[in-house]
Amino acid sequence: MQQETTLQLLKNIVPAAQNNISTKFIVLDKGTVSLEGHQKTCLALVADETAAVHFQFWGDECDAFEGGDILILVNGIFSYSRNNLLLRTGKRGKVEKVGEFTIAYVETPNMSEIQWVPCPNDQKRYIQQTVVSSHSRLFPPLR
Amino acid sequence: MAAKLVERRSHEAENPIEISLREAFIFLEPNLRPPFPLSIPTQEEYENLNRAILYGILCEPHLAQVHIKHLHGKSTDGYEYFTGLLIKIVNAMFPKLVDPVRIQLLWVTQEMVHVAAVGVDGLLASLLRQIVGGDFGEENLWLCFEMVCLFSSKWVCLLEDEPFILTSALYVFLRLLADHYRVLNVPKIEALRQMETDFCLKILRQEFHLCLKIGRDLVRLLQDLVYVPEFRDIWKDLLCNPSAFKVDGFVDISQIYSIRTPSKYFLLRITPEMESQLRFLLTNVKLGGHKRHQIWFVKKFLAVPERKTVVTDILRFICCAHHPCNDTIRSDIIPRWAVIGWLLKCGLKSYVEANVKLALFYDWLFFDEKIDNIMNLEPAILLMVHFLPTYIDVTNSLLEFLFMLLDNYDVERKEMILRGISTALDVIVRKGVIQSLDVLTSCDRLSPFLKQRLGKVLSDSQVQH
Repeated sequence: MQQETTLQLLKNIVPAAQNNISTKFIVLDKGTVSLEGHQKTCLALVADETAAVHFQFWGDECDAFEGGDILILVNGIFSYSRNNLLLRTGKRGKVEKVGEFTIAYVETPNMSEIQWVPCPNDQKRYIQQTVVSSHSRLFPPLR
Repeated sequence: MAAKLVERRSHEAENPIEISLREAFIFLEPNLRPPFPLSIPTQEEYENLNRAILYGILCEPHLAQVHIKHLHGKSTDGYEYFTGLLIKIVNAMFPKLVDPVRIQLLWVTQEMVHVAAVGVDGLLASLLRQIVGGDFGEENLWLCFEMVCLFSSKWVCLLEDEPFILTSALYVFLRLLADHYRVLNVPKIEALRQMETDFCLKILRQEFHLCLKIGRDLVRLLQDLVYVPEFRDIWKDLLCNPSAFKVDGFVDISQIYSIRTPSKYFLLRITPEMESQLRFLLTNVKLGGHKRHQIWFVKKFLAVPERKTVVTDILRFICCAHHPCNDTIRSDIIPRWAVIGWLLKCGLKSYVEANVKLALFYDWLFFDEKIDNIMNLEPAILLMVHFLPTYIDVTNSLLEFLFMLLDNYDVERKEMILRGISTALDVIVRKGVIQSLDVLTSCDRLSPFLKQRLGKVLSDSQVQH
């Protein structure tokens, strides 16, 4: 899986209605599990050396991962869900644990805490407008 | 189809080593049953055959004899490639291997000892590293038992072919015994520690010249067992009757103090996973941004109270086996003293804390510029200095401990220890680890008694140098 896919850095991910995000990151923190319809979901803060983002775990993903796990996401989706900008595996994607601990990370910028707007020249593409918060408002940094 | 090497959890990627072994096995399976082809393989075919046979041995116990005969017939490199594969599996996957595969792994290791395979010492060392200190779980004690049985039953051929691996085993079992003698109510622990004790006493009594290779940490480990009658006798002979060990030229324990312990011994008490996490922390994680990594490390390795005895081993590893380069030292990466600082504050039992402090200062006591490395001293002095503003109690207790060691560690050889400590302090300033010891001697909040003692050691040191 690692060899076949080109992995993006988190600072380069852009919202889109497509399953086009393949990336590697470390899980920093997990929220509580809740039910969305019949499906379990759980928000998490994940990051790599360049940026952080909110990830929404679905179903058995919620129990499969914990803080410190290194995951590879293939063909995931970065899009709005109930007004929150979230990275998810989606129906066509796949996420797997490939290691633990050995990734340095930053908590800012957080790609979910950025206001994106459609690009004036290409309405299908999003560009960054303003930074809503430098760090995650859901998972504040540890001091 | 063969079974798996590991039981994977959901959403866990398969290990690339397992994939490569299984693919070789599937590809070559028809050739793995007798009659075996007689053709001479190319190097690539040879490596694939080794992988396939190894997978067969691990996953088809009922055909293991067939596979091993096949290997004996085909090996042309003294089993070097095969042993290398085994080491990779042990280092990368051992904790996750399913029980039948572990049993096969230990069996094939014995076979490799039997044929004196090239690299078998490395294989045995990698297995010793998988024994987790302070873990009294069934699986871990099983591995202890298997390894001590292996070293005892293969004693003669190991002594002949790989004598130094016996000293590695001694280091490991002495260290484990300190944990195993302190625990109660663990089934079968008495039988296990008797075997460990017998093995250690045998090598100490019969092959002491080999044991000297361990150097001064041999004394540190023996001292932790001094309350065990069998080891008390060894201790008495070390102090009062060194000729009992029948080593020419060995006349005094101070000769052991003067041998710096090679860093490979410290690695033996740190699992490869712990080593890679510690090295990552000390090479890539910035001070101030290390909180989450610290929490994960503690949760994984130090959450169970009994496991915290490993902090002593971590200290020896950090002081003696992980020396950062100058670029790292000058950067904002978390320094060694800071990691040691939080390890000291992770809620250790008092006897563990004393062992940890001894581990921190151990090379100070016998420091000799000709053989010792200043990097082994650096964490302790920087910890004491950096903790002055915020954790003065830690600095006080460390200095107090250092002087307690000077007074009591070996009263018969106090001169030597005084020389070690004063040389250490002199080198620390002379080489610029800190600008001056005034930061300690002129600190108002440091205990006056300790400042006075420090001043005395320093004035003695000036007389000497």
